[in-house]
Amino acid sequence: MNNNIDEKDILTFVDAVSGFFFQVTQEKVEIKAAYLTEGGMVPSTYDLTSYITLSGDYVGRIYFSAPRSMVAHLLMAMGEQNRLEDRLLDATGEIANTISGNARKHFGETMEVSVPTTQATDANWLKSVVPPHSYVILVKWKQYRASVVVDIQRVV
Amino acid sequence: MKLLIVDDSALIRSRISRILDDPRLNLIQVAGMAKNGMEAITMFLQHMPELVTMDITMPEMDGIDCTEKMITIRPDCNILVISALSDKATALKALKKGARGFLYKPFSDEDLIAAFLELTSP
Repeated sequence: MNNNIDEKDILTFVDAVSGFFFQVTQEKVEIKAAYLTEGGMVPSTYDLTSYITLSGDYVGRIYFSAPRSMVAHLLMAMGEQNRLEDRLLDATGEIANTISGNARKHFGETMEVSVPTTQATDANWLKSVVPPHSYVILVKWKQYRASVVVDIQRVV
Repeated sequence: MKLLIVDDSALIRSRISRILDDPRLNLIQVAGMAKNGMEAITMFLQHMPELVTMDITMPEMDGIDCTEKMITIRPDCNILVISALSDKATALKALKKGARGFLYKPFSDEDLIAAFLELTSP
């Protein structure tokens, strides 16, 4: 594995994604794939993407990208009536925040996390920002697919 | 009992507010909702709530500093930290600054109700 990050580190993010979906929906999310982006296998970007910037003993970003329809369905599962664009963006940021924050159980407080940056994105956005040797976790919940991209390096 | 909800996510503020519709929590009334620590301090001084839910990762002032300031102003305030930061050190830091409880995100409705009931029980 690259970047001083091992399989156990990446499994932390898989667990965080699974835990988020299960807690919110009481349904298991399907992990369709988890792989290193060697050879330019960065996944397509979905409608809404949020990222958390890492600092402290780690640098990089954690991305969560999902279609609007999936985020709207998640909001419905949470009992949220407001499913306008602002709330969809907010929810996407909260998912990225929760996945990254939960990973600190494994990485510790020296992995500092920023507030989320969230935006509507086109299909190639991740390809333009994700560096080589990042980790991709593809998930499926109901009929929807989403991706988590982990670009993380230990600096000490 | 007045509650101030502090979280930079409108979704979480809305969710906490909605969970308060549960009849077991009918003594708690939302006095205000703030989206960062600075706004929270202003609202705290305005309403002097007995109860606060506090996010940690927020712009302008984080929840740890905000907790410390609120406890300085009102030492008997019950602050429940609600955060995705799942490392033990962060929870301990919040408790050392005066928070009375810590709830990890993602949380269920029942998790939050139980935390409120524990904090507000005599």
